[in-house]
Amino acid sequence: MKYLKNGFKLASIASLSLLLGACGEDKPDLTIMSFTDELQRPIDKFEELHDVNVELQIIPNESYRETLQPILESGEGAPDVFTGEIVFMQQWLDANYWEDLSSDPYNVDEWSDDYVDYVWDLGKDSDGNVRAVSWQVTPGGIYYRRSIAEEVLGTDDPKEVGDMMSTMEGLMDVGAKMSEAGYALFPDEGSISKFTSAFGANEEPWFDEETMELNMNEQRLSYFDYAKELRDNQYSALAPAWSPAWYQSFDGPIPYNLGWDELEDAEGESTIEVFGVALPTWALDAVFKQEASENAGDWAVTNGPTSYFEGGTWLGVYEGSENKDLAFEFVKMMTHDEEFLTEWVDETGDVLSYSPVTDKVKEDISDDFLGGQNHYEFFLDEADTIDASTVTPYDQQLNDLFGTQVGLYVDGEITKEEGIQAFYDEVNNSFPEIITPDN
Amino acid sequence: MLRQRKLQPYAFIAPFLIVFLIFNIYPIFLTFYFSLTNYSGMGGIDNATFIGLDNYRRLITDGYFYKSILNTIIIWVGGFAVQLLIALGLALVFSDIQLKLKGLGFFRTLFYLPNIVTVASVSILFSLILDWNYGSLNQLLMQIGILNQPINWLNNPAYAQGSVSVINTWMWFGQTFIILYAGIAGIDNDLLEASFIDGANWWQRFRYITLPQIKPIMLYVMITSLIGGLQMFELPQLLTDGTGSPQGSLRTIVLYLYNQSFLYNNFGYGSTIAYGLFFITVIFSIIIFKTMYADQVKEGERR
Repeated sequence: MKYLKNGFKLASIASLSLLLGACGEDKPDLTIMSFTDELQRPIDKFEELHDVNVELQIIPNESYRETLQPILESGEGAPDVFTGEIVFMQQWLDANYWEDLSSDPYNVDEWSDDYVDYVWDLGKDSDGNVRAVSWQVTPGGIYYRRSIAEEVLGTDDPKEVGDMMSTMEGLMDVGAKMSEAGYALFPDEGSISKFTSAFGANEEPWFDEETMELNMNEQRLSYFDYAKELRDNQYSALAPAWSPAWYQSFDGPIPYNLGWDELEDAEGESTIEVFGVALPTWALDAVFKQEASENAGDWAVTNGPTSYFEGGTWLGVYEGSENKDLAFEFVKMMTHDEEFLTEWVDETGDVLSYSPVTDKVKEDISDDFLGGQNHYEFFLDEADTIDASTVTPYDQQLNDLFGTQVGLYVDGEITKEEGIQAFYDEVNNSFPEIITPDN
Repeated sequence: MLRQRKLQPYAFIAPFLIVFLIFNIYPIFLTFYFSLTNYSGMGGIDNATFIGLDNYRRLITDGYFYKSILNTIIIWVGGFAVQLLIALGLALVFSDIQLKLKGLGFFRTLFYLPNIVTVASVSILFSLILDWNYGSLNQLLMQIGILNQPINWLNNPAYAQGSVSVINTWMWFGQTFIILYAGIAGIDNDLLEASFIDGANWWQRFRYITLPQIKPIMLYVMITSLIGGLQMFELPQLLTDGTGSPQGSLRTIVLYLYNQSFLYNNFGYGSTIAYGLFFITVIFSIIIFKTMYADQVKEGERR
């Protein structure tokens, strides 16, 4: 009997030690999870300031949500502070993963006047409590090549070029002029969607969060027609967003294959140069300066037909954190610390949401990459016109489903009616609670 | 005393059993429980509503689910058929005792190489090759005059499914080749020699000796490939950014499951799809086992 007991004990100890083998390391004072390494420098500073040990765990963007959500759901191995992206953030806000920062002892509602409205509002859950705060704004515009604007439009001034593109018709006129002169307006048709259905671009939300009715308005539908127009009139260079050709198109002419038959006269080789592209604040560094800097100094940024935003990182304190005070200190430094944020602007050029700092720095900023333009003021003005109430929790997913159908329509695989119907079917299947107009 | 000894072996398998129960059996039952709720994957399972068999009712009338089964099978069958033909052909050539080809080790490594590359890298490689305007495939086909206009491979349902089948073939034919070659090499030489003496030609040898002898191996290849095929996920996911486009033609069962669970927050329904997949796997397994069993009965009767 004793023998047996020992056998069992041994076996269970063996299996337990297997399970627990990974535990028992030194625990840091604070664990932070995010999808980029950009928080590392603030963390270094924070460690110095408070004499603590902070661990940053980076989970790649592609699997961030899928990895972190089960952790937050179960609470096992959860961080003290974590970031969220606009793509899924509103869903997380209502799942109560982040601590309610409007309550005692945080009372962040006092801060609200210091922030750009849309960024502040998007950090609120559906009861209006702030759970996540962001240090940055990420509105978009149209980046364009000054030399091409000068040649075709007669001016390279961002204000004047922006006026020409301030309506959809105006934008298409510019497209026509570019085409005549042998340039492409945009690398791909997706650029146009920024002004029909992107975050904050549409005047009305994708669906009514009370009645759950899908709102397919004219502005959204126009994506079909404008995308087709772009393709048919060859205003785009057939370089899909984020593809190697897309990056290349910012550095110089790229090969262009549409209508191969016609090109045989041109000895089989033809190239086209791209005038501009619709991208947000962060693209200046992440796309242009890092990946396509061939034409540095020849770029400028201006407005399109509507304001919009893309991406953006919010952060907050995990609701089950054991070290909430320290965790909040970090959030505070990252979003509400004048000295730190002033340094942050100098180091990164990030467009901030915190007005005490932006008011101070915005007038003196100019970027050599953009030919000395003060993009800071431009982006802050754009950010001010964005209305957070048009953003729904599923904007990204709905835009993706919609964009897929537009892509098929532009390629001639389906008709517009088929595309709209297929989109409704997909929405019904993915979000059974949303009521589509065909029902 | 005797009873105690009988218990002893269990102590020794306990480590495995405990891990198995926690990481395999428990999730299976938990998934079943999820499938009976409208759990969104967020806000805690306690806040989800128990909705009985509603998800299952939805599943059996869900056109997208059937479409995903069809997609998975089309892509698998396409890939498997081509891959089996190539692998079998190569195995026959390399094992032919009259040809006596040299460099088997080298070719074996070469054929197997694509299988070592991670799916993520493969998908990047092929998305570059298949790119509509700048991909090398279209460039090549147009240079040699087969195409007048570039084909947007990944934006047409038939081409997209075909492309994935081809990529799967490329990745897996080496593996299948090695297994089939081992099977053919294991055939008793006496049988082959006897066939030479009897004056059998190449086709007769293949038809009456090689094929019956490697039948169990073929079955093994088929089962493992089918199981892998039903779980096809990474390649369509990475090639299409998770959308399963064009027109849902690359939306495999597991991709559909994944999107419903994680992208659209229908965790309960995603769990139901998992059980649907489980059910499909059971059906296929039964078919395969029946086929095996039927053969055994026949052989028994002959004796």
